Amino acid sequence: MKRLFQKFTIGVVLHVVYAALVELYRLDSRARKEMDALPEGMSYSITTGHKAPVLNVQWQQGKLSSLVQLAEPVCSLRIKSLAHSFRLFTGQMGLAQAYACHAFSMRGEIADVMKLARLVNLVEGYLFPPVITRRILVEIPPLQVSSLRVYAAILCGFLSGRYKSL
Amino acid sequence: MNAYFEFHNSVKLLCGELSLERIAIELEHLGGRAPMLLSDAVLEKIGTLGIVRQAMEAEGCRAACTYTDIPVDSSLRVVNEIAALYRRSGCDSIVAVGGGSVIDTAKGVRLVLSQDTDDILAIGGVENLSWNRHVPFVVVPTTAGTGSECTGVAVIRNEANGVKMEFLSHYVQPEVAVIDPRMTAGLPPKATAGTGMDALCHAVEACTCLQANPLSQAYGTAAIRMIAEHLELATKDGSNRDARFAMALASTMAGIAFSNSMVGAVHAIGHALGGVCKVPHAVAMTILLPHVMRFNLEKCRDSYAALLPYLVGMEQAMVTPAEQRAQASIDAVAALARRLKSICGLPLTLQEVGVSREDFEHVAQVAVNDGALIVNPRAADEQQIIGILNAAF
Ligand SMILES: [Fe+2]
Repeated sequence: MKRLFQKFTIGVVLHVVYAALVELYRLDSRARKEMDALPEGMSYSITTGHKAPVLNVQWQQGKLSSLVQLAEPVCSLRIKSLAHSFRLFTGQMGLAQAYACHAFSMRGEIADVMKLARLVNLVEGYLFPPVITRRILVEIPPLQVSSLRVYAAILCGFLSGRYKSL
Repeated sequence: MNAYFEFHNSVKLLCGELSLERIAIELEHLGGRAPMLLSDAVLEKIGTLGIVRQAMEAEGCRAACTYTDIPVDSSLRVVNEIAALYRRSGCDSIVAVGGGSVIDTAKGVRLVLSQDTDDILAIGGVENLSWNRHVPFVVVPTTAGTGSECTGVAVIRNEANGVKMEFLSHYVQPEVAVIDPRMTAGLPPKATAGTGMDALCHAVEACTCLQANPLSQAYGTAAIRMIAEHLELATKDGSNRDARFAMALASTMAGIAFSNSMVGAVHAIGHALGGVCKVPHAVAMTILLPHVMRFNLEKCRDSYAALLPYLVGMEQAMVTPAEQRAQASIDAVAALARRLKSICGLPLTLQEVGVSREDFEHVAQVAVNDGALIVNPRAADEQQIIGILNAAF
């Protein structure tokens, strides 16, 4: 039951993270600069545990898409257990901390993980309240728009069906 | 303290007198009878490689193939070429004799061979590999600095984009490392000082980065004490065997420390300076260490203060007011670098090594993508890295 709850929560958070990335491309100049610098076709796959949710994203023609399947991700991150994923995606653990305690393995180039890490730090800066970000982020990024505005954009996006996986 | 940490060191260390003479039997125990000997042209010319070869041959171990063309700034292409040569030559094990470039190249070759692939790029990553083919691997470091003989990382330049790539896996660690003071006896003063400062960087960053843990700190602080006590002497008098041996051990201990807690911004920026401006690793470390420590100070007051007794001795640390100890640690590191400069001319600024301010932007762009930055105690963006480079100019 606990595992089922964790899988469900992680699945929801992964959707929200992807939605936030899509919205921050419009709303935050740092996110836009970071994504614009990605090479065409750059793809990430994040596996959150055994038979657990997966997030596949690909940068194509100036747009970040979520994919149901990704045959050969350029960079794949495998979080070592569902329990670690749950901590990571519920604001109990930051990405730097996850790296420091060997919570994930990675196939690809470390430079690509660093790019993703900066984007995820921005997402966390917007989505989590300061009481959490103070604990999980090495440095809290200054927000360029309010968190409410990002949440509102995500809500509109979900209602309009903008984030459907391909 | 981190709620979870890992510590791995599976390298058997042969330390001290006549340790080279034991390579043959160690290889035999590992199942290696036809080793590939890897080194560089300088070590072959000055006879360092010859000492190892003789010690092995005297015990009946002859290399099936010797490759001494590893450049100072090795690359993925060199790794793939050597792996192909290994297969063609019927070798069954590797003995690497050299400094950072030779050892990292050998680690790359070992990785390619043990993963049954032709191209090291295909297996890049972090903790992503499983044990596959066993390739016995012995390392003989000829500098006292990189600590590479005990680390689970290989840093190799990707010639396609000039970026230094890191391959992190415990399977790059050799089975045996030979710490023989004969190997560093002929190291010139400047190289002795620079590689020693690299070891100091490993120890300082390992003790203070986000992945630091009590075991890596035990190795790191022990290394700092030995470096503080012996580096100047080893630089001044290269024939002092005790100082040489102490530095070789300190380097190995610092290697074990950072292999189990990573490094930080000194290395992230240093790798970028190496990739973009060809600044030798040890030189970059010497120049950057005090400046990055100043940058990190606000997040590292306690951890830097804790290093003071190892840097200046317990007595001096105790008479330093508690609130000044972190700054005193930075001052001690900077003062050591200045003393080394006066002994052997070790460069202390980027200007001295031909770096131009126009390169800073490119260096910063590469540095922010270096994996070492993820565990630096303070986040650093491109502008902040340019600030550090300006301070070090
Ligand atoms: Fe280093």
